[in-house]
Amino acid sequence: MRTRKYQLALSLAFVSMLVGPGIIQFGLDRAAGRKSPLLDVMSGWPNAERLRRFEQRVTEDNWVVRRTRPWMQTAQWLLLRDLGENVVVGCDRWLFYRPSFDYVTRQADDRVPDAASAILDFRDQLATRGIALVVVPVPNKESVYPDQLTARAAAGSLCQSASTADLLRRLQDAGLDVVDLFALYARARREALPAAAPTLYLRQDSHWSPTGMRLAAEAVAERLLARGEVGAATTSYTTRRVTTLRPGDLVEMLRVEVIARQIGPEQVECEQVVERDDGAPYTDDPQAPVLVLGDSFLRIYQLDEPGGAGFVAHLALALQQPVMSLVNDGGASTLVRQELHRRPALLANKRVVVWEFAERDVRFGTEGWQSVPLPPQEGTADD
Amino acid sequence: MVFSTYLFLCWFLPLVLAGYYALSGLLPRLGCSPALVSRLRNAWLLGVSYVFYGWWNPWFVLLMLGVTVINYACVAFLARPTATAQQRWWSVAVAAGLSLALLGFFKYCTFLQTNVNALFAWWHIPPWPVLDVLLPIGISFYTFQALSYTVDVYRGVAAPARAFTDFACYIALFPQLIAGPIVRYVTVAGQLVARTHDLDRFSSGVALFILGLAKKVLLANPVGELADAAFEAQSLCTGDAWYGVCAYAFQIYFDFCGYSDMAVGLGRMFGFEFLRNFDAPYRAESITDFWRRWHISLSTFLRDYLYIPLGGNRRGPRRTYVNLTIVMLLGGLWHGANWTFLCWGAYHGLWLAGERMRGKRSWYDRLPAAARVACTWVLVLGSWVIFRAPTLTDAGRYFGWMSGLSGADATTALPAALFYAPASVVHMVVCLACVLAPVQAHDWVEHMHWGKVLLVLPLFAVTLMAMFAQSFSPFLYFQF
Repeated sequence: MRTRKYQLALSLAFVSMLVGPGIIQFGLDRAAGRKSPLLDVMSGWPNAERLRRFEQRVTEDNWVVRRTRPWMQTAQWLLLRDLGENVVVGCDRWLFYRPSFDYVTRQADDRVPDAASAILDFRDQLATRGIALVVVPVPNKESVYPDQLTARAAAGSLCQSASTADLLRRLQDAGLDVVDLFALYARARREALPAAAPTLYLRQDSHWSPTGMRLAAEAVAERLLARGEVGAATTSYTTRRVTTLRPGDLVEMLRVEVIARQIGPEQVECEQVVERDDGAPYTDDPQAPVLVLGDSFLRIYQLDEPGGAGFVAHLALALQQPVMSLVNDGGASTLVRQELHRRPALLANKRVVVWEFAERDVRFGTEGWQSVPLPPQEGTADD
Repeated sequence: MVFSTYLFLCWFLPLVLAGYYALSGLLPRLGCSPALVSRLRNAWLLGVSYVFYGWWNPWFVLLMLGVTVINYACVAFLARPTATAQQRWWSVAVAAGLSLALLGFFKYCTFLQTNVNALFAWWHIPPWPVLDVLLPIGISFYTFQALSYTVDVYRGVAAPARAFTDFACYIALFPQLIAGPIVRYVTVAGQLVARTHDLDRFSSGVALFILGLAKKVLLANPVGELADAAFEAQSLCTGDAWYGVCAYAFQIYFDFCGYSDMAVGLGRMFGFEFLRNFDAPYRAESITDFWRRWHISLSTFLRDYLYIPLGGNRRGPRRTYVNLTIVMLLGGLWHGANWTFLCWGAYHGLWLAGERMRGKRSWYDRLPAAARVACTWVLVLGSWVIFRAPTLTDAGRYFGWMSGLSGADATTALPAALFYAPASVVHMVVCLACVLAPVQAHDWVEHMHWGKVLLVLPLFAVTLMAMFAQSFSPFLYFQF
């Protein structure tokens, strides 16, 4: 009799744990008057794509799955210092974004020619309208701080992926104007060592720090002024210091409050760009001769907290004139140009386009590197 | 559908179990005979197995059905009392020919075309347009199972199936359909007609299933990330290259053994008893010993249906060595259409032949037992490099890292951040402890008690939670 009891207990507990999440979800759906997703999949011929979508939806929507996931993540962090599949924990709690890590450490593939072709095609299209192109590949944090990733990397060393080196060589060979932030950051790190200078990237975030951003903006401004496409200063800007707290995108993407609390936010000293006369915060000017395209590296400090303190504002500060910008988070490879195609007015009066993209996008850019036509010129526009 | 997913565990399996046991309970009360109950239960399992398989791509069910019909019809023809010896032989030839032709087309067509084109390019002949053929999941497993039925009936080892649904159920049976173990018809012929359902078998199946799921989710998936990072690295130092191939050895073992444990466990829940597929292979003391412990269902299948028909060891030592090498070459090719798999098979075939020359003793059999295990482990690691690398060039590059002959670059140091993170080290150590553990999952679930139940249930809860926190990760053997 005792034998049957434990067998029964094991079998019943097993079945209960299997059916529990489904029953709970079924009850919640009924209470909320939601239609079962099972009905969706049965409403047409179930092809492979439809089935995958359904499976993903029922899994992601399940209350038990959503509730237990943070517990597991917290346990993994507390017990093993592991932050999951998207974050690599480096030295001194520096966090790194896994796709960027993979980009730097894994073998190059055949996507580099696509990136080079798309960039050069964009350059050629702009040239037909008398607009120049300057590209700004932003190094991965892993490329600039390999020594914070692992103690095995030499202090202050820089690490450039073969894909990046190949792309930069192709672009430079084609005569494209590329602002080389790798060289700039290498120099900055060499000069900063061994002093405790501000870092070029945030510790808990995949993006540059205000220092790294400002160096990049100044380098781009210097290049634009040297090219002569940007005229004399039209506005007088100055800065004011603002301190902000950032949990870091690498912590936020976990969406686990306990971990975010445990790690705590990072204090970031920003320089907000304001007009010298009235202290009004910097704003873009659609009529400016410079259009800046890019991704979240443009958004940080500019559209995020504290606002008006990001790359775009600092580029305007260095040029002493406003610029225009178009930002698409994670979409610098293709999406931002597609958005430009939909907004022809953005190219009005432009003499130069600055195109920023993250290094990892060379291989992992959202939607790849498509060739995107420029918008029709205003006056000949479809709409 | 994959065992380690929410959909399978929380919807498919409970519904299938409920339907199955509802049929078992209701049908006898409605006056159905035991034979009819058994046939209807098999029909239920057949239906749900087609849903399970069709979940990948509904069209592939038709292919499996085709292989099933071909073999069933040929066996029905050869099993006629009036069938002559020649007709019987032709029936087997047609069944084997058609089944292997389908397998060949779906699995090897692209490989063949690509290699023919390489030869054409050498002779400056325009290339042949390469067909991009989608590989139906599990085709190698169910084709071999169908052939085992035809050959076993032909040999008189098994009787023809009682009904088409019984045979189709055997081919499509979802617990072992996608990645084995390769269940021979003779093993389950009796169980398809009558099998025992009791709490003892069900609960041991539950325990084995939980252990298999834990192997997959808690061990194979995390170390698999390390293996991927190593094999796709731009550059590795010697130590990291060895660490990476160890991670792959753990991944493939816990992934495949975990799947097999789950398959056997699920089988028990439905009253079936499949043979175990692994027996502590990394404790083997020679390559011969390794193949007695690794993917046992494949090695015994190849022995009985290929090695022995080729003459086995009955035609002298030289022919034995040749047979061993041929069998392992084809075993390698069975895994996939790639030169790496052929070389992997040849590597094992040559080691087996070498050990056969010494009377099935390894070349290092005078060493102490622990050293013999370590030497075998190193030889097996070498084979895994060939097996895992996408191409032979990549395998050569990896061997270069392992031997320290390949140069370092700026990225060489970086994978260490992933390899030696606390979580990675803990996973690797637990994997090592598990492969060396004296008791394997199959033995452990034999004699359950309250203590084991209280270990297994929390393990299941943790495994489920870990699974919910992981991204989708199919089993490695699905690709074969």
